[in-house]
Amino acid sequence: MTEKDSRRIFYFMGVNFTFMGVQAVYGYLTDSLGLLSDSIHMFFDCVALAVGLFASVMSKWPPSERFPYGFGKIETLSGFANGVFLILISLEIMFEGFERLLEGRETKRLRELFIVSTLGLVVNLLGIFAFGSHGHSHGHSHDHGHSHSHGHSHSHKDHDHDCSSHHDHNHSHGHGHAHSHGHDNENMHGIYLHILADTLGSASVIISTVLTYLIPWSGWDPLASFLIAYLILITAIPLVKSSAQRLLLTIPADTEYNLRNTLSEITNQRGVASYSVPKFWVDDGVSSEAGNRILGVIHVAAIRGADLEEVRDRVQSYLGKHGIDLTIQMEREGDTTCWD
Amino acid sequence: MAPRSLAPPPISITPVIHTPDDGSDYDLDGGDDDNIQVDLDYALYDHKHLLTPDRDSFYDPNRLSPVAPTFQINDYSSPSNMTSNSGGLNENASPIDIPSSSNGAPNPFNFQTQVISTSPVKPNVGQRRGHKYKHSSISAQHQIFQEPPPRPPLALPRDLPIPTVKEAWKSMSKDQRRRLYWCICHGVIAISVFLSAHGSLAMTALSHLVLFDVGSALICVAVEVLGNFEVWKRSSIRHPFGLERAEVLAGFALSIFLIFGGFDLVSHNLKHVLEGKGGHSSHHPDPHEGLAPRVPPGDVDMASLAAIIATLVSAYGLRNHARISKVMRVSYLASLPSVLSNPFHFLTLSTSALMVLLPLLFVPISVLLDSTICALVAMAMFALGLRLAIAQGLMLLMSYGGRSGSGSGSPGKNKDVGVADVMREIEAEPGVERVDEAQFWQVHYGLCMANLKLSVAKGADDAALSRLRARVTSLIQNRLGEGYGKGGSLRWEVSLQLGTAGTY
Repeated sequence: MTEKDSRRIFYFMGVNFTFMGVQAVYGYLTDSLGLLSDSIHMFFDCVALAVGLFASVMSKWPPSERFPYGFGKIETLSGFANGVFLILISLEIMFEGFERLLEGRETKRLRELFIVSTLGLVVNLLGIFAFGSHGHSHGHSHDHGHSHSHGHSHSHKDHDHDCSSHHDHNHSHGHGHAHSHGHDNENMHGIYLHILADTLGSASVIISTVLTYLIPWSGWDPLASFLIAYLILITAIPLVKSSAQRLLLTIPADTEYNLRNTLSEITNQRGVASYSVPKFWVDDGVSSEAGNRILGVIHVAAIRGADLEEVRDRVQSYLGKHGIDLTIQMEREGDTTCWD
Repeated sequence: MAPRSLAPPPISITPVIHTPDDGSDYDLDGGDDDNIQVDLDYALYDHKHLLTPDRDSFYDPNRLSPVAPTFQINDYSSPSNMTSNSGGLNENASPIDIPSSSNGAPNPFNFQTQVISTSPVKPNVGQRRGHKYKHSSISAQHQIFQEPPPRPPLALPRDLPIPTVKEAWKSMSKDQRRRLYWCICHGVIAISVFLSAHGSLAMTALSHLVLFDVGSALICVAVEVLGNFEVWKRSSIRHPFGLERAEVLAGFALSIFLIFGGFDLVSHNLKHVLEGKGGHSSHHPDPHEGLAPRVPPGDVDMASLAAIIATLVSAYGLRNHARISKVMRVSYLASLPSVLSNPFHFLTLSTSALMVLLPLLFVPISVLLDSTICALVAMAMFALGLRLAIAQGLMLLMSYGGRSGSGSGSPGKNKDVGVADVMREIEAEPGVERVDEAQFWQVHYGLCMANLKLSVAKGADDAALSRLRARVTSLIQNRLGEGYGKGGSLRWEVSLQLGTAGTY
């Protein structure tokens, strides 16, 4: 799946890069400023794509001593970076548009601009179609990240649990399996948004050029770019938000609910006196199997007379049933050497 | 009086009709505000009144008490609500504890009213008093109210609310507010530098740098303000490490800004160069071409000077960039004095100093020089932003890089100990057979986690294991944590899962 993604990014990057080269050479030969500056823009797009490609490939790398949890988060990171970048760009475009609106600088060389932006639109539309099927399912990337983990944690549980959780399980199953790869989409979403922004940018230039041609007013171009920048902004903000939450290791709301239930049952396990400092985080593992497993740490105090290892095994298998893999530090009840 | 839904048999008997006269009698006995309670209580253990056919007979329009109507309406809710609400305010003051021999007593209400009047009456006005039924004789007989089964206390960490802007504003101390105001000043300076650029690329570059400083200063203030709240530091289920990681994330976003700024400057610069070269400049009058320079030679560039001052104030007053620069030490700047050793301050200060000095030294800022400075700054921004993004991205990727390799360099110092060395040391501990799993990672600037699964020799008792735990914990803290002398404190949270060999 992700390999397919990275191949797609790679192909599109190739197309982009070639187009950039053609633009630059032709622009240099014909001394056309519009073409040259557009090729600079293309170059930045290529860089963004390269980062996305890198992240997509890197997310496959196995965990190591340096990276004990693998590179599952890198795609989220790349998505976050792309989102922040887009927000900054849209703010800049807005600012420039405002400036131009005030100065009333007139747009020149309409024909050249028109041709360049049409070509850009074609290339970007190609990208939209390449990523389009992906991008659409990614509109709700935040949601299925949740629902999947939800379904996952319940799928082991529904044998021995009450009907409310069973209901939840059924409910989430419908979502959960349609988009099983909850963890790799922030990167693709970011790239998709980037290409979308470019496409809209070219479209806006085309429309504003036509409008300026028909009704000569210098305000068309700033107005169009303002509008586009706003669109980019509102699409990038949800991406930044959702990826930020994952990077902050925030537990999604419904997973949290299950976790609370699971946790409160721990003290009912035989031999457990209490527990302290429970910390959980969602693992965006390497293999899709391990995706959305919950990892964490807990310190469990055993009652006097219980075998520590036995209690630990019991707690571990109990948690394992709920899809939680913890490092369990065993302590004796009343032992005060434990920190916190 | 008993809840109708339960329909205990006596209700259907209906021998007595409650008259308004009775009610007015009680009123005379009781206090003004308490009479309802008296009524009720009386009814509760006097069967005559329990048997009243309809509750409306209790409601006497002649009574003066303002409490009466609301109370009556509220009181006839479902029994499940009553149980859930048991344990209200008045439980101890309840007159029901008096034995039900009150049938014989001629006038028990005097005493009860006194008891009630000691308890605060006012706060009860809006509350239900259904819990009284729980103790009444009838519910005791019919087992209507069941005690909830004993549950283990929930030791779950509380869910802490994230403060809103308003709360954050209220929580700010005077000092913090002053810092925020300074940040705003700094921002104004950044904007004024930007506006005073007038097409000068070098000044635009400087304004980008100052803007980045402002962003970082704002993060410093925000971190301090959020530190007023518990959710920042305290672990909860939702935020297992508090919100402190947000600082790293914000820093990462800022480093993206730096990279973006670098890109932006480069593209502007290229455009300028192309425009100049392409001979289109006739269409596009450049403000900095020929005519009047931005700052006349020999004059002081006020904008750049303000940038210098603002940077210095932020550096000393807010300790701007302090935490970030700790993550990434730039070796070739380390020998410089304190402020300059910070790459961010170094960059801003040197650029703005250059901008101040050049006009003073009567060096004309030509287009070429202008774009060269801009290109240099852009490159520096880009490189710095990239390094910063990598340093913080690694932290966000849940990794621990340690410090500059393992073992090599100055021996005997803690500084160059890597994870691999520590692992070797742990394996060398007596009692440890091997390290099965080890995860070292940095959560945020001040906290690292080490989660280890160790195999220990068979037959170790509790005390030995506890001692081993303490030893390994202090070993990790000592080797990888920063010493106290170095200013910052890097805390390690160590969790050890010990098991005898072969039990995994």
